[in-house]
Amino acid sequence: MSLLQIDQLCYQPKRPWYKLAGDDGFQLGPVSFSLEKGETISIIGENSCGKSLLAKLIVGAETPTAGRILLNGQTLENNHKTQRASNVRMVFRHSAHALNPSLSIGQMLDEPLRLNTALSAKGRSEKIFKTLKLVGLMADHFYFYKHMLSDGQQQRVALARALILDPQVIVADEPFAALDPSVRSQTVNLLLKLQKELGLAFIFISHNLGIVRHMSDRTIVMHDGQIVEMNLTQTLFLDPQHSASKQLIHAHNALLSLQ
Amino acid sequence: MILLDIKNLTLEIESNGVLVKALDKASLILEEGEIRALVGESGSGKSLIVKAISGALPPQWIVTADRMTWRGQNLLTMTRAERRKIMRRDIAVVFQDPVAALDPSATLQEQLTESIPEEFVAGTWFWQKRRSRLDIAHSLLHKVGIKDTEYCMAHYAHELPVDICQKFMIAMALVSQPTVLIADDPTRGMETNTKRQILSLFKNLNKTRDLSILFVSHDLVAISSMADTMTVLYCGQTVEDGPFQSVRKKPFHPYTKALMDSAPSFSPDLQPKSALIALGGTIPTLQHLPIGCRLGPRCPRAQKKCVETPVSRKINQHTYRCHFPMHLDDKGIL
Ligand SMILES: Nc1ncnc2c1ncn2[C@@H]1O[C@H](COP(=O)(O)OP(=O)(O)O)[C@@H](O)[C@H]1O
Ligand code: SF4
Ligand SMILES: [Mg+2]
Repeated sequence: MSLLQIDQLCYQPKRPWYKLAGDDGFQLGPVSFSLEKGETISIIGENSCGKSLLAKLIVGAETPTAGRILLNGQTLENNHKTQRASNVRMVFRHSAHALNPSLSIGQMLDEPLRLNTALSAKGRSEKIFKTLKLVGLMADHFYFYKHMLSDGQQQRVALARALILDPQVIVADEPFAALDPSVRSQTVNLLLKLQKELGLAFIFISHNLGIVRHMSDRTIVMHDGQIVEMNLTQTLFLDPQHSASKQLIHAHNALLSLQ
Repeated sequence: MILLDIKNLTLEIESNGVLVKALDKASLILEEGEIRALVGESGSGKSLIVKAISGALPPQWIVTADRMTWRGQNLLTMTRAERRKIMRRDIAVVFQDPVAALDPSATLQEQLTESIPEEFVAGTWFWQKRRSRLDIAHSLLHKVGIKDTEYCMAHYAHELPVDICQKFMIAMALVSQPTVLIADDPTRGMETNTKRQILSLFKNLNKTRDLSILFVSHDLVAISSMADTMTVLYCGQTVEDGPFQSVRKKPFHPYTKALMDSAPSFSPDLQPKSALIALGGTIPTLQHLPIGCRLGPRCPRAQKKCVETPVSRKINQHTYRCHFPMHLDDKGIL
């Protein structure tokens, strides 16, 4: 049994009233794949091919029009927010935008605990300190506000917020895009370490094919709302089959070999 | 022929009552026909250099330099009119934030057609000129890879996706057929296909029109695909400078080494999912700059001497500022 199973997931945006029937526009899916414990899957594809939408469906930020998602063999219900929220967590694209500037880091991390667990105040702050340490921050950061933190530290807070409910799956949309090279390397190392220690499974969406190739076990290529190819990362990068995969990977290799 | 020559450019600004040096003796040369990469993390001062060159610095900055010239003419002492003329015809800049740099109250068509210099426009009568301007505009947009040029031009900047605006800014910069293009992070957030398209356009213009390019970025894969030379900036100090291949293969400065290590694509022997070699800590803020070499607190090679600012040294074409460089013996010999 897989940790996470995506089964025939579809999404069709509601047709605006001014559009004629038959003019369907963009549709996602049906999409199916599964993710194992401790595994990393990357999703690559052109802009607006549906990567971010798929991520939102997986974490429950959007409701699919058809299909289901199973966690450890059990269907995740969209109306069962707690179960979903604590097991499958999203790290947002631009951590700088995703953090509320008027809350201290401690308050920010307290929120998901209050909403999703029955922990006492003391239990919650213990959990917060533990999580801060896990992502390489200090206890003092509990009292910091967003503007007092560097980009890299903000990224760590966003990660801490995703980790605080002990999820099994972390979904991250462009977690590296806004990061500088040295901070990016630190983040890559932190994620690899957390995966090793906690057996976390990751789903990454990224344009940075160098990092995708380094970090992921398997890679999914999306095109026009569909999965057009899925394979072991090293195989896919050496021998892409679908024209969309070829285009992306050849473009990447071409950049590398133009030197 | 040297087009841009900047030697020891220092920019100071007051912060909480003290003067801080956002740029501390930064140096940079751009030769005719070359593509130079200017690399550094955000906040390292890349955009400040771009603004200093283009004369777009706000007045509160104190600018000093041993040299800052355009084709031998002193940029710091020339009149505003002379400077504006250079910026209009010779040096084109693609600023970092495309949407903010465009006029929100005019359609892209108005902005683009108006910036076409009069001498490129054919025809005598206004309708002929109008036609000619539109033709030039469409062909430019095509060149930067915008497919639906009608749609793009009929809209305002905020109505279009960022990647279209990015491409549009590049078209705007190329309209005057400049000698130098300064592009501040032009490929940020672009997906690989679009990126390759833009980069090959740059490379083509460089080959066919002898366009010199200052390519400001920290996208090492993009840089490696086109740069002839590279200047590395850390925290307002230029730490290394030289031909791209020699900087990449034998970096002397520990920061440059860390930069190269951050791109797994550059290390084909790297085991998948293994830890990358990374510097600890983060880039300090202007309010907390370390004295001496600014990499000091994060540098694995740092020693006592590093509290003195290292002077720049040169081996062949390759310049560095470090007391304990890599790949060199203690006499500074390769
Ligand atoms: N108007 C300003 N006032 C004060 N500090 C500034 C201003 N503009 C930039 N800085 C500071 O100067 C440094 C360099 O900035 P910048 O050139 O934008 O970096 P980069 O383009 O390399 O990301 C940063 O520390 C930044 O905070
Ligand atoms: S001067 Fe010292 S601190 Fe600076 S980079 Fe060289 S060894 Fe490191
Ligand atoms: Mg900048």
